Amino acid sequence: MTGDPLKTSPLHDRHTALRAKMADFGGWEMPIEYPGGGVLREHTAVRERVGIFDVSHLGKALVKGAGAADFVNSCFTNDLRKVEPPKAQYTMCCDEETGGVVDDLIQYFKAEDEVFLVPNAANTAEVVRRMNAVVPQGISVTDQHSDFGIIAVQGPRSVEVVEALGLPTDLEYMSFTEADWQGRPVIVLRSGYTGEKGFELVPRWEDTPALWDALVEAMQPYDGLPCGLGARDTLRTEMGYALHGHELTMDITPNMARAGWAVGWKKESFWGKKVLEAQRAEKTCRLSWGLLATGRGIPRAECEVKNADGTVIGVVTSGTMSPTLKQGIALVLLDRGAEEGDEVVVDVRGRDVPAKVVKPPFVQVETA
Amino acid sequence: MSELEYPADLRYTNDHEWVADKGDGVVRVGITAYAQDALGDVVYVSLPAVGDSVTAGDSCGEVESTKSVSDLYSPLDGEVVTVNEGLDGAPEQVNTAPYAEGWMFELKLSDPAAVEALMDAEAYQATLG
Repeated sequence: MTGDPLKTSPLHDRHTALRAKMADFGGWEMPIEYPGGGVLREHTAVRERVGIFDVSHLGKALVKGAGAADFVNSCFTNDLRKVEPPKAQYTMCCDEETGGVVDDLIQYFKAEDEVFLVPNAANTAEVVRRMNAVVPQGISVTDQHSDFGIIAVQGPRSVEVVEALGLPTDLEYMSFTEADWQGRPVIVLRSGYTGEKGFELVPRWEDTPALWDALVEAMQPYDGLPCGLGARDTLRTEMGYALHGHELTMDITPNMARAGWAVGWKKESFWGKKVLEAQRAEKTCRLSWGLLATGRGIPRAECEVKNADGTVIGVVTSGTMSPTLKQGIALVLLDRGAEEGDEVVVDVRGRDVPAKVVKPPFVQVETA
Repeated sequence: MSELEYPADLRYTNDHEWVADKGDGVVRVGITAYAQDALGDVVYVSLPAVGDSVTAGDSCGEVESTKSVSDLYSPLDGEVVTVNEGLDGAPEQVNTAPYAEGWMFELKLSDPAAVEALMDAEAYQATLG
């Protein structure tokens, strides 16, 4: 990706008009935070009221043709047969040889012959490539990265905001519907990455700015804010949600990340099944935990975690100051043997910050 | 950057710090409006200890926002005589009042005249482009 110009979202003009601070997210120039907001205020808006996020950098791909659902189910970890259309499901694309995670993604089960995928921005091309390498005749896998935008509406007042646009909100968690908004098609999915009640809206690329403008207006009565990806990261970290590249990587398997709940172990096959089953039975791999800093300081990704004897027992995969708790929090991988309540220290650039081993989430919310 | 201010009675460094001459060879140090804006919400400040001897350009602390960590540099040679303990419980003052409650530490200078060599507000603003 180095050297390529950054791609921009259909809302790029909106972000520059708001003078958002922009940064590279998986090859896309996206907002980190907006003036007048900032990560902390945007974070609080979502926990207490409502916020909207441009996540149009997320990938989109369509698997279509007779047997599309079975094909997808033979590739990714989760069991698509646990749900029926129109429902979406969290899943992972693993490497057949190592069980490492190529990407985690959402699969929208539209019909037996149609599954829509939302992978991470930086991994979309690779997921599509791996699928196309083995796709049976009669099924197509198409990268639709720039055919659709995605806007997440998150927070306790998200229902009112989405309703104000005349869009359906009476959806179970992870259910979606293909709605009509002023003559334009929009997928409405009850989902999110913040822990709060929320929706992800998928309009056509060209309709995304109008939908954004309507949401900005609709959230005004609730004191909502446009939120950048900085707040999205602090919100997901407080929930203990994995971010690909941190909690899930080619070296961190679903077993290590405790994402076994999204693995269809009883399925006949999926990429990486053999090696993941063996690792699961062996019970020796490191496991994900949360750390709550009990002393001053903020654990950051790649900091080492040590036990009371000073022996390195793990590593931080994500760390930040929790805006809700006003304490340092971290997601970590620890050697087997660690237990909830254990006192550890994090080596933060040479300074030992004491912390306690906990099970995320770090904050209690009224999820979805 | 038009809304960010750079008081004319302060001196500035390329590391985006401001220096206020308190007299008797003591200066107060903080980070500029530009620096706090670039960092975003400051959530933790690690300051040098009183009594520390510091050299101009030395890293002597850290300023952390939700996402990033930045070094705090000593603008001049001297000894740390006071630190702003108020930042412990209220690091956000670095954002809301970078030249007032958001100050960081005070130095007793080895060479009181050295402060004159730092940039004035106009020269500093010119570096911001």
